[in-house]
Amino acid sequence: MRNCFRIPKRTTAFLAVVVVSVLGLYGIPARGQMAGVTLYISGDTNIQEMFDKDLLPLFERETSVKTKMVFLEHGQGAESILAKIIAAKRTGQQTDVDLYETQPTFIAQGSSEGIWTRITKDNMANAAKVDPNRPEVLVSNGFGIPYRGSSVVLAYNSKYVKTPPRTYDEILAWIKQNPGKFTYCDPQTCGSGAAFLYVALYKYGKAEDFSGLTYDQARESAWEPALQLLRSLKSNIYNNGFYPNGNVAVLQLLGRENIYMAPVWSDQGMSYLDQGLLPKDIKLVQVSPPFTGGDSAIAIPVHAEHQASGLMFLNWLLTSKAQTIVVNKLAGYPGIDWKYMPKDVRDKFAGIAQNFSPLPNAKYQADAKRLWQEKVAGSGQ
Amino acid sequence: MTGLALVLPPFFLLVFFILVPAAEAVLDTLRVERGGQIVYSLVRYAEMLRTVSLRRSVVFTILVTLASVGVTFALAYALALYLRFSKGWVSTLLGALFIIPLFIPTVIASFAMVTFLEHHGYVATLLHTIGVEDTPSLVFNATGIVLTEVWASIPFATLVLLAGLQGIDDALIDSARDVGAGALRTFLAVVLPLNTVATVITMSLLFIGILGSFTIPYLVGGNAPQMMSVVMTNYFTNYLRPDISVALAALSFVIAALAGAAYVGGVSHRERGAV
Repeated sequence: MRNCFRIPKRTTAFLAVVVVSVLGLYGIPARGQMAGVTLYISGDTNIQEMFDKDLLPLFERETSVKTKMVFLEHGQGAESILAKIIAAKRTGQQTDVDLYETQPTFIAQGSSEGIWTRITKDNMANAAKVDPNRPEVLVSNGFGIPYRGSSVVLAYNSKYVKTPPRTYDEILAWIKQNPGKFTYCDPQTCGSGAAFLYVALYKYGKAEDFSGLTYDQARESAWEPALQLLRSLKSNIYNNGFYPNGNVAVLQLLGRENIYMAPVWSDQGMSYLDQGLLPKDIKLVQVSPPFTGGDSAIAIPVHAEHQASGLMFLNWLLTSKAQTIVVNKLAGYPGIDWKYMPKDVRDKFAGIAQNFSPLPNAKYQADAKRLWQEKVAGSGQ
Repeated sequence: MTGLALVLPPFFLLVFFILVPAAEAVLDTLRVERGGQIVYSLVRYAEMLRTVSLRRSVVFTILVTLASVGVTFALAYALALYLRFSKGWVSTLLGALFIIPLFIPTVIASFAMVTFLEHHGYVATLLHTIGVEDTPSLVFNATGIVLTEVWASIPFATLVLLAGLQGIDDALIDSARDVGAGALRTFLAVVLPLNTVATVITMSLLFIGILGSFTIPYLVGGNAPQMMSVVMTNYFTNYLRPDISVALAALSFVIAALAGAAYVGGVSHRERGAV
């Protein structure tokens, strides 16, 4: 019996030592330090890595403000965070969300509750560098500040395409002249195919009619000619009307030279070129009217615990130094205007350094994808 | 009393979590708002049947399901017969091997099939080395779905059929042979009729399982036409039209029920005929 007792006692003592030291590690440095900032960031793992390895350490070094990041992978739980911010506002409490990066439509949802700080150059100097007509700003009702973006652009193989199309109509003409050498992915599986669909819709209905928050199904009758146009392309699409699933499948077809032209995401195309997964002959250009693009935006709650630190971080994130990191890491668009970016960055992205078209709102997107399935892919010949 | 108490939890689970919500959902597809009032109407079903892509998807689903059931059944029956009537190490080895797909998650199997069958995949490469230049498309279409469904369903079908075959007394087969019946005659006159129940169970469960399967058609199927399960999911989550999705679900339930009824009718008829 005695022997049996000894072991638990030792274990308890050991555990006590562990607990005390762990508490010490966490507890002691937290005391007496200046207010940190809690960032809620959403995105893919590449975004997480960029914040963890590049942006946050640099910011902490330069400002000695501590940061804490809550990462929502692929935006999972983004809606409940919004609910949490709204709940805190309604009950008159502060929220621990000092800065929230999310889809512009979520920011718009919270705007009527008065939960967001209006960010202008008066409370954040670098707001002056952001184009107020960016889709992220417009869609978020002016409360969201973009800090990264990506757009769909046209990728073409310069070995086979000597004079690349400059406009959307020229793309359509090229597809008909070069049957089987173009495709776009099924719009419900990827953004690049959806962009090809949306720009076709915008050909017959103004983009602004569909990118705002209002929804009126009757307006969709304007899309009919666009859907017929896409259906008429079907026989000229790769493999007699094969729309691959996902962005990657399209890039692979381009890489194997099965097709010579396709819409792709600027950031994915760039990083595939950097990694050598696409031949060097593949070039990226933006056409006119541009393909749709857009990405996350940042908003700051009016009742954030450390609002000043949140604004300070956002201001820092919009410096050309931080923006250069973002653009290079993600091969995407900066949140600030291209003209504020260093020249070497502008040169590298020369083909795509333009604005992009706004996305339709979520309801129009859903309808557009359904109508594409019903009237283009699923219609038979 | 104890027996009843044991039955109650699953019974309530069935009623309140499956039957009531299902009935409610079906009723919901019939309710339409007209001039501020809720009326019952079949407009959603009419819309569903008017939409060409949905009609094609229903036909496609039935054809793919029938093809998958047919091929699976033929292959599984042959395998079960071999395992039942052959002795030896090959049979023992096969008996262990055929069960493997049962333990491989469908997602993994589907991705494996895609890599295996795709344009520059294993099959195409293999055919290329023996001089076949143009491999037909084996994946992202009906062929891909059928091949993967068959691959995934064979173990289950074989197990059920084998269990049925093992219930047949060797003496009956021996006596058939004694009166001069060949292998085919023995199979048609003795084995097949005696294995009717297992056959019906296999066929009906395969049909309903493949009709409602999602992962395989989602990952291996093409853009259009799609299987109903994939279309339902798209309408529910991507197109924000849950009403059409539920209407489709109701239709697929009717198809499954019709199939079930046909089989049940077949069994009782045959049993009566046998007596």
